Amino acid sequence: MKSWTRRKFGSFAGATCLLGLVPWVAKGQAAARVVVIGGGVGGSTVAKYLAASATRIEVTLIEPKPRYTTCFFSNLYLAGLRSLESLTHGYETLAQRYGVNVIHDSVTAIDPAGKTVVLERGTKLPYDRVVLAPGIAFKYGTIEGYDEVATQIMPHAWIAGPQTELLRRQLESMEDGGVFVLVAPPDPFRCPPAPYERASLIAYYFKQYKPRAKILILDAKDSFFGQDLFQDGWNRHYPGMIEWLPRQFTGGIQAVDVRRRLVKTAGDTFKADVANVIPAQEAGQLAQDAGLVDQSGWCPIDPMTFESKLQPGIHIIGDAAKAGNMAKSAFASNSQAKVCAFAILAALIGSERFAPHLFNTCFTFLASDDAVTSVISYRAEPETIRISDIFISKVGENAETRRKAVREADGWYAAFTHDVFG
Amino acid sequence: VTTRCFRDERASNIRQIIALSISASLVIFVANRSAAADNDRGAQLAATCASCHRLDGRDKGIPSIIGLDEETLTRAMQAFKSGERSSQIMHVMSLSLSNDEIVTLARYLSTLRVEGKRP
Repeated sequence: MKSWTRRKFGSFAGATCLLGLVPWVAKGQAAARVVVIGGGVGGSTVAKYLAASATRIEVTLIEPKPRYTTCFFSNLYLAGLRSLESLTHGYETLAQRYGVNVIHDSVTAIDPAGKTVVLERGTKLPYDRVVLAPGIAFKYGTIEGYDEVATQIMPHAWIAGPQTELLRRQLESMEDGGVFVLVAPPDPFRCPPAPYERASLIAYYFKQYKPRAKILILDAKDSFFGQDLFQDGWNRHYPGMIEWLPRQFTGGIQAVDVRRRLVKTAGDTFKADVANVIPAQEAGQLAQDAGLVDQSGWCPIDPMTFESKLQPGIHIIGDAAKAGNMAKSAFASNSQAKVCAFAILAALIGSERFAPHLFNTCFTFLASDDAVTSVISYRAEPETIRISDIFISKVGENAETRRKAVREADGWYAAFTHDVFG
Repeated sequence: VTTRCFRDERASNIRQIIALSISASLVIFVANRSAAADNDRGAQLAATCASCHRLDGRDKGIPSIIGLDEETLTRAMQAFKSGERSSQIMHVMSLSLSNDEIVTLARYLSTLRVEGKRP
């Protein structure tokens, strides 16, 4: 584009008009501006793919934190199998190699009428398209006594970083013979197998250092993703250590007493030495403030483009999106981000559109040498996203298959974070 | 379609011809269109591969798909699709691709080199 003069551009625009094709740039405007809000997996991926695919799009990424710690694989940190540093990624490559304008600030408002994003420090960023990847917010108040202050005693550890470190410190300080209570959330929530992977990997840690410890899972649900795989793994690796109590047994989780570390269900009170409370979830706060959320608490989108059904020009990807049958996961966010980026390129610079492909793949650890996989392909339809094909590991697979999945998982983490952060 | 050429730096000669002559551009677009669109479709399909396979030739834990010729890649994906080669993940991934998409993707991947600059 560097040698492309305005005169030539004018002639080109004329030619395209005569051909009956009027892409956005042919209107004689400057480079199209896309503002991406949220530097997690979805936001970073969409920023990278937009910036890498077209020179005539200015991509700005707004993220308050200087570095991002991945929630996926953070259960390995809790098990003592990975450092948190190895799960933490910066934005330097996105900025330097791909030319993304990375701004470390918070967004205070999105103005769809004025097509402007307002930052906390006062900057106003005009946009042609916004991509919002706000992640999740917690529905505090659904469990009585569990609020933001309570997370400092009973961490959720469902957004990786200080919360994850706090939970690890508590597990390290717990006496052998102590009880770890994990409160698992109702659907839908970020990463369906993750609470049960967490129980598995904390059991892996306990088995080595605190073999008399117990794990109690108090679930808001009556079943969970991959249940037979987990229960088989628990019986093989940690017999007698993990107890799972479904909602139909407890009547549901009703309250916590943070000071006394009690978790109260409809019929019982459980005393925890360490409590990990993962509350019910909804779309990130910014999506709610911007009027992008429906009564479900999530953001309805067009499955072909991930553009909001409530506010044109704003796309929502990742956990906050109401994406039919797609799981809320990092892999799904990355997959959605690519579909969204290609749709935005088509809208802004007139690139050709092809059928979208959406996937979710998941590596889940039952122990350090035992991982299971799931892979799902999806079909985007006009009103929803449906599962096309699905594969999940099976109970009774041989040990080498599971060890191979561990090796693949390590390779996947390296490749995936390279795809996201450059 | 036209913007494909517009933002493709390798097509700068074509751009100048377009700017000078509308009739000439029509001819060239017809000739150039399918190759450019095919390349873009290949790049978009390859983006799905990049969620697990590094496209810079590194292959820790998950095999590299860079440096292979078009036929080898097509055969491999068809074998995963039919179940002749076993990998549940690759079976589901390749099932989602039409035969035409597999050819386009293989053609695109075969052009990538180790340390290539595309994401």
